[in-house]
Amino acid sequence: MSKKMSRNIFITVCISPAIILFTLFMVVPTFEVFRMSLYNWGGLSNTKEFVGLDNFKILWNDMNFIQSFQNSILLIVLVAIITLVLAVFFAAILTKEKIVGTNFFRIVFYIPNILSIVVIAGIFSAVYDPKSGLLNSVFDVLSIDGLKQMWLGNHDIVIYSVAGALVWQAIGYYMVMYMSSMASIPASYYEAASLEGAGKLKQFTSITLPLIWNNIRTTLTFYIISTINLSFLLVKAMTGGGPDGSTEVFLSYMYAQAYGNSTYGYGMAIGVVVFTFSFVLAAIVSRITKRDVLEY
Amino acid sequence: MMKLKSVLFALILLLFIGLAGCGDEDAGADNNSNGSADGDDQEKVTLHLAALESAYGKEMWENIAANYEAANENVSIELTIEKNIEEVIRPKMQAGDYPDVFLLATDREQALTETMIKENALENLNDVLSMNVYGEDISVEEKILDGFTDTLATNPYGDLNTFLAPMFYSPTGLFYNAALFEEKGWDVPETWDDMWELGEKAKEEDISLFTYPIAGYFDTLMRSMLYAAGGPDLFNAAMTYEEGVWNTDEAQQVLETVEKLAEYTHPNTVANANPNDFTKNQQLVLDNEALFMPNGSWVVGEMEEAPRADGFEWGMMSVPAFEEGADRYAFTFFEQIWIPEQAEQKEAAKEFLSYLYSDEAAETFLEAGAVQPIDGIVEKLEDQQQLFYSIYEEGALPAMGTFASTEPVPGASISDELYGKVDSIMAGKITVEQWQKDLEDVSGKLRPAMN
Repeated sequence: MSKKMSRNIFITVCISPAIILFTLFMVVPTFEVFRMSLYNWGGLSNTKEFVGLDNFKILWNDMNFIQSFQNSILLIVLVAIITLVLAVFFAAILTKEKIVGTNFFRIVFYIPNILSIVVIAGIFSAVYDPKSGLLNSVFDVLSIDGLKQMWLGNHDIVIYSVAGALVWQAIGYYMVMYMSSMASIPASYYEAASLEGAGKLKQFTSITLPLIWNNIRTTLTFYIISTINLSFLLVKAMTGGGPDGSTEVFLSYMYAQAYGNSTYGYGMAIGVVVFTFSFVLAAIVSRITKRDVLEY
Repeated sequence: MMKLKSVLFALILLLFIGLAGCGDEDAGADNNSNGSADGDDQEKVTLHLAALESAYGKEMWENIAANYEAANENVSIELTIEKNIEEVIRPKMQAGDYPDVFLLATDREQALTETMIKENALENLNDVLSMNVYGEDISVEEKILDGFTDTLATNPYGDLNTFLAPMFYSPTGLFYNAALFEEKGWDVPETWDDMWELGEKAKEEDISLFTYPIAGYFDTLMRSMLYAAGGPDLFNAAMTYEEGVWNTDEAQQVLETVEKLAEYTHPNTVANANPNDFTKNQQLVLDNEALFMPNGSWVVGEMEEAPRADGFEWGMMSVPAFEEGADRYAFTFFEQIWIPEQAEQKEAAKEFLSYLYSDEAAETFLEAGAVQPIDGIVEKLEDQQQLFYSIYEEGALPAMGTFASTEPVPGASISDELYGKVDSIMAGKITVEQWQKDLEDVSGKLRPAMN
């Protein structure tokens, strides 16, 4: 056996467990989702009826699905933008400014991220409580009754209440990511810039932002994926999709259809749309944010 | 070179052991079950019982299993009792491993029972009804209270065939603080007009007339109202998605009453009407902030530990009548037990079902607070429970049943439209007219798909 061949065998053997597991638990189920979306099936019996693209046609006219889709897009956009701005802002302050208790703040910001989403739902249902909740109580103390709201009861604002909880739990994680890449920017750049008379803002836009750009691009994809997943968990635990579907997101609608309505095939059709949507969105975002990577 | 080969060999071996390890458990289990089925003792069967662990707890099932095994030595019972029973059992069922007997009611979020109905995957239980109760001289049908085995909740296809047997029942109605009524000198309302009058009186004292835990609790309330408005005819028409049923005067009266109820509903209700906070709405009644809520007798146990107003005392009334002296109804909620068509031990399962209606079993269930719809059960109840269960003896008519089963229809859910929309009605987001239109639309989609 030549050395090259035995080397190849060794490599094959080493990666085959990963390949097998990946195929078995990722590729095959994904393929199954696509296949099942073409069937009319309740989810348990052996009676599956092939209906072609019928499920997708129904989906196209299903107003409840469209509402849940709108809610999901709204959440993705809001959570990504707000979290991005706040996380970059706090990261810049904590790395560049000498303030007391940097580490303390870093931990405080990060804590929400290690909490289970069910705990977060509990915390926010206490914050949003109409009677004794933190928000309404604060407005009460400040005597601005006009701002008091039924945070989880008003159809028009409940989706923003969900977004608020998602932003709160996400900031710390992304902040730590941005901090790590900001910390690796050599201090000499900032010294040179300040000698040239550049202010803090100019330093941020001309040095910090371009140099962490690659990191930001990566996290944009994370925002999309994690918002899709976490919004489902949070909605399930906190609002149950209510009141009357106004916080239903596409994954919770998929769950409701696949199980609650015994239309498993239809649920899988929603799954296909969600799958495609998140891939395409991530690709678009990645494409339009592409810049030459700056080396330093 | 030899070294590399032996390392390679060891790695491959490890891989196979790993993969084989995954399959091992199943293979072992298979051997066991074959052993017990084809063993020397032909009669010996293992019954697999799955049940939802509800407020009644797990212990009663363990006792039932032990008692039955003692009474029938040829049977051993394997229990799966979980709070998230659907998540535990569904994957097994998808893999073809069905329990022999399953206690799981309809109207649950995951709708496993409805899926079984829609897929025609249940065993016909007519012969269980005509069977004698295990160890007794009376047939199951005779022992079960009248009316419990001819509803759409037991005969889902709307004919004489029973596929789900009624197990634990609970009357539902409007719950209130009886002590508060006594203290204020208010009469418990009998008609909706009385309700509105009381609502005005309560408003003066800063008490809301009404609240509800979550919109889903309107199922029992609205079904009782449909009965009260148009009798069984209207109810059955609505449950079988008859064309135009929601545009009839009687149905409109029901929907408009719900809309009017919105004026008297506690303002925090909708904000708390979610799976996380619904007990806050129930708390409103305990705190004398709201007078009535639709609920079932389980609420007493559910709120046992909650703080409450001084002297609080549970009361329950049937749903008010639309006119003075007209019929009043209290919806009876019950859990169902059924046998999957794919069960392995159907005959043994049926015999076991008949045992569940025996006096011995009923007593075991009663100890845990679970009440079965069988003759003479009400006399055996404790005081407070008796208060709820005797509601039918005080003139309320029992209402039972649920929507007729259909083939699965993508995107069409009658309960979302009928009960889910209540949150929107309460917030004034949609009108009754829009509600009627939505209900007609979804009924139209479900009608052709009826089984």
